[in-house]
Amino acid sequence: MGSSLGPSWARRELRISQGGTVIEARELRKSYGEREAVHGVSFVAETGSVLGLLGPNGAGKTTIMKVLTGYHFPSSGTALIDGMDVVEDPLAVKRRVGYLPESVPLYQDLSAAEYLDFAADSRGLEGAGRRAAIERSVESCGLGPVYRRPVEELSKGFRQRLGLAQAILHDPPILILDEPTTGLDPNQIIEIRALIRELGREKTVILSTHILQEVEAVCSRVIILNEGSIAAQGRPEEIGETLKGEERVRLRLKAARQGDRLDARRLEALFARLPSLRSAGELREDQLHGVFSAELAFSPSSQEPGELLFDWAVANELKLLELERRRLSLEEIFVKLTSEGGAK
Amino acid sequence: MSRVLAIARRELRSSFNSPVAYGVIISFLLFTAVSLFFLSAFFTMNQADLRQYFDLMLKAFAFVIPAITMRAWAEERRTGTYELLLTLPFTEAELVLGKFLAAFALALVAILLTIPVPLAISLLGSFDPGVLVAQYLGVILAAGAAVALGQWVSSLAKNQISAFLGAAFAMIFLVFINALANFLQFGGVLAAILNWLSLAFHYEAFSRGVADSRDLAYFIAFGVLFLYLSTWNLTRRKWS
Repeated sequence: MGSSLGPSWARRELRISQGGTVIEARELRKSYGEREAVHGVSFVAETGSVLGLLGPNGAGKTTIMKVLTGYHFPSSGTALIDGMDVVEDPLAVKRRVGYLPESVPLYQDLSAAEYLDFAADSRGLEGAGRRAAIERSVESCGLGPVYRRPVEELSKGFRQRLGLAQAILHDPPILILDEPTTGLDPNQIIEIRALIRELGREKTVILSTHILQEVEAVCSRVIILNEGSIAAQGRPEEIGETLKGEERVRLRLKAARQGDRLDARRLEALFARLPSLRSAGELREDQLHGVFSAELAFSPSSQEPGELLFDWAVANELKLLELERRRLSLEEIFVKLTSEGGAK
Repeated sequence: MSRVLAIARRELRSSFNSPVAYGVIISFLLFTAVSLFFLSAFFTMNQADLRQYFDLMLKAFAFVIPAITMRAWAEERRTGTYELLLTLPFTEAELVLGKFLAAFALALVAILLTIPVPLAISLLGSFDPGVLVAQYLGVILAAGAAVALGQWVSSLAKNQISAFLGAAFAMIFLVFINALANFLQFGGVLAAILNWLSLAFHYEAFSRGVADSRDLAYFIAFGVLFLYLSTWNLTRRKWS
């Protein structure tokens, strides 16, 4: 459906010097009434990068985006877009920013074409440039088949893409996308992520998500937010490293020789021989007798847990049936970050 | 200005893509015509006087204008498009003016569609076109003031229904307060204040065919005040 971006984006002249700081938040705080949603957050985002805000619901991702786009004013601290203060120069900021709010705001009574027409009007686009901009957005977001249809008849996936088309319509140097892939099916997610990566080559993109893989798939930097504060920030790989601490592996195994019956107690004794093993989870015997599965946690060491396990299995006449490296879920990351005093 | 028109065009497109606009216009025309010809004994008076017709229009505004303006901000907030509007490059004043223009244009369409009625009646007797112009000027000014009020109420309301009810109550108060004051025979300062506040009091001269500059100033100030209050309300929300 949606095609990837044509070369027209790449050829466009950069309006901002490569690698410069484009978005800067300094000690941002925002309260809604009594409740403070963001407690003094500082970060920068540079041209040609995709910055991911990662965190559970209520972590302050959306609030930060609302402040950066001038929808809410910060309670204290400053947010600068291209050096301009969002409070003092909101109009200039809004001209440079394309924003897709989490709620994907669309007018139900309009067709997709009329909606983009309104967006083009609001951006002051005229003549040939206007037609080209609309065409390009429609094409990159794969909206061709529904262009004339009323918004109220569109599926969730097409609504999401129409919202995105609105955000990129005026080819803004800065894009702020609040959970851009929610409600999309897996194929659409792949397309939209590819589009965001492409856009991130020459623009400054900030996106929020609560999906860890999304950060790894598209972001060049990530900020992990928890309860309105930054829990960690860095490149996704760096964050992974800091969080590692231990490696988790899930395995299924049985005795190598036929007739050699394994039992739980013997296996536990064998586990104890594993170097750098930190803890072993509950052992479970399959319905197939003699086949056990368990989850093991290893302390960081020079040797890969997989390699260790293979050697160990061979030495103890065991056969590994399955070996799976477990990813830390976002929830586990937060437990670790908050219980161990944060990674940074 | 082009950005104000962008907002107005978007509003009008939405209104005319849905049954709302047509419903409002038709009920306004039906209410005023039916009341005039069937309920108010127009024919038995045996006199071709349009004053009654214009008085009915003001009364109809008490529910027609709130029906036009109830969606203005309340609906945008419910669907989340409010956030879109406030993050597109518009100033708060442009947003308020654009919405005002759209709702005012819709009211104007309804008002202009009443023209056949006075034209038909004029066949029954001789008419002063100057009087008719003053009467229409009054109706248009009152509509503008009512639209500004209705949108301000919508900018405060949680949803369309409360926006409608709030604006309708305010309109009923402003339209009938001077009649009430007269009925209860209030005297002195209180009556003067209530009269001065009342839309109907300032409308009265227009409906007789007299355009008084004080009444003109009242309607314009009334409209500007509520447009300003709406703008202030949008700005205030960003800090909350």
